[in-house]
Amino acid sequence: MFTDESLDGVDFQSSWKKQRHLENSQTQTTEISYLDSSIQSTETLDQEVQTVAETAQEFRLADGDDKALAAFLRIVEPVVCKALERNIRSHAFDGYDVNWAEDTDVVKCVHILTEKSLDKSMQCTQLSWNRTGSTIAVSYGRLDHQDWCTHKGVLCTWNLDRRGINSSKADVAVDVPSCLMSIAFHPVKTAWIAGGSFNGQLSVWDLSQEDEPLLASSGIGDDSHREPITQIVWLQNPDKPSKYLLVSTSTDGRILIWEMKEGKRTIELKEGFLLLASSLPAGFMKGGRSRGDKEMGVNSVSYANDDPSLFLVGSDSGGIFKCSMNSRDPVPTSEVMPSVPLYSPVTFAFEPHNGPVHSVNCSPFHRNLFLACGIDTSARIYSMLEARHILSVEPGAGYLFSVQWSPVRPMVFAVTSGEGQLLIYDLQRSRNIPVHSLQASPEKKEVFCLEFNQSQKQLLATGDADGVITVWQLNDALTTQGAREAEALADIANSVLD
Amino acid sequence: MVTGWEKVMGPIDLSKKSNLLSNEVEESLKRIQQMKGVIGIIVINAEGIPVKTTLDNSTTVQYAGLIHSLTAKSRSTVRDLDPQNDLTFLRIRSKKHEIMVAPEKEFLLIVVQNPSDGS
Repeated sequence: MFTDESLDGVDFQSSWKKQRHLENSQTQTTEISYLDSSIQSTETLDQEVQTVAETAQEFRLADGDDKALAAFLRIVEPVVCKALERNIRSHAFDGYDVNWAEDTDVVKCVHILTEKSLDKSMQCTQLSWNRTGSTIAVSYGRLDHQDWCTHKGVLCTWNLDRRGINSSKADVAVDVPSCLMSIAFHPVKTAWIAGGSFNGQLSVWDLSQEDEPLLASSGIGDDSHREPITQIVWLQNPDKPSKYLLVSTSTDGRILIWEMKEGKRTIELKEGFLLLASSLPAGFMKGGRSRGDKEMGVNSVSYANDDPSLFLVGSDSGGIFKCSMNSRDPVPTSEVMPSVPLYSPVTFAFEPHNGPVHSVNCSPFHRNLFLACGIDTSARIYSMLEARHILSVEPGAGYLFSVQWSPVRPMVFAVTSGEGQLLIYDLQRSRNIPVHSLQASPEKKEVFCLEFNQSQKQLLATGDADGVITVWQLNDALTTQGAREAEALADIANSVLD
Repeated sequence: MVTGWEKVMGPIDLSKKSNLLSNEVEESLKRIQQMKGVIGIIVINAEGIPVKTTLDNSTTVQYAGLIHSLTAKSRSTVRDLDPQNDLTFLRIRSKKHEIMVAPEKEFLLIVVQNPSDGS
């Protein structure tokens, strides 16, 4: 009843699934095309320009027609003479004065500058204004060495015309291996400055060269100073008026005249003088302890305005001397032989101060008058013709470190004191009392240096023992020369002759 | 035209005459210079170029240029204000000096005086 049986499968179509259907198709993106082309920025071209020094037009009078000229003068002479005659007798303008600018009565402090990074460790040893009077340079060093100088000196400058000056950081700072004791800007080249350091080296920098400012240096050798350089002066070369010589003075008693060789980057010794103790006036060498052939330190030098061969020096021993560049008195040779012979420059000795003289300064308005000040707390006016001083002021403000005549007012001078004061004297107002007594050092430290601005004559700068530089703006009375003021100064000078 | 007289005397006489004239000019300038307080005298021509001077070159050039233009300006001011008027004399008073200018059509005389020098 059971048998094998095979049954065929039954299939049926899905009611919902559809058969998969395939088809081939192609797509293609458009071809990317490449193209090479060259481009180039605009061409540059180098071109040199140079200004040519203006040739001064030769001055020539026009050829006049004498006949016409004579006729002209015949007409105008009586008119002009009458006017001149009446004018000289007229008092119409006596006491008449026009005020063009707003009056400034007070001397005010316009800038207080410090180099913060020095942190009051260095003192201002000297100041110098550049030719245009816009930049003040200061040499940082120390004046109180007990032994070797282990300090690092700095030369700093500030441009006061620049907007937004940084009063705690100098525009330019040049580091020097030892204390920098003196500086002086070149009288023509605005960026050139000479500096003398504690170890006796003299250098010249070009401050416009930021990477390598050093132009030339004297090095240290037999020719150089062996002690701190106390002052530097640029002096017109008598042989080549377009060139300048350098004069440096030092506490080793030498006054050396240098010529700068730019090509060789050196400063070469040209002439030399040595100040000896025997130049002191007789009777001043007390106790016979100092020997006559010993040298005396030179603290300050000042050249006469009308005679570049005449200069004055103030010495460590208190002596003040009139010296000549032309002297040829040989001096006993010392152990160190420089390459040029040294001479004794002294031609006349003035009445000495009782203690080191720190500053001497020739009057820019009278050929015979000069100022000197020193440790003995007095500032004196001397005449070159007389050993005794003419006038002495004793402010009673401690040691006096620096004294200078005003470049504008013949009767005005300023002096800085050991008690932090800047004293301005006007001899027309008073011969004893300063017209202005200003606190030039915030911490009442010694004010070592002072410098009138020779170009912007209303400015005056002082520098103190904390390294603080103060720039003062002078008032109208100190910047306008009065009538017959130069004559009044001449009267003081002539008072010695009476 | 040369006359017979000039033929004989001409050249010599002319130079004498011009010598005489230049002497007269110098004398005249000297007299002005000797007036009290006079610092310097400059005569310039109509173009502003110095003809005579007692001052140094650079000062002369400076005075000549500046005073010439100032005088021209002053004259035009006077004439603009009143065309019938004209400038006859110009005096400039400064703190230090008095500058007197006497203009004429061909020349201009500048005298610098220090009025406080008289006493």
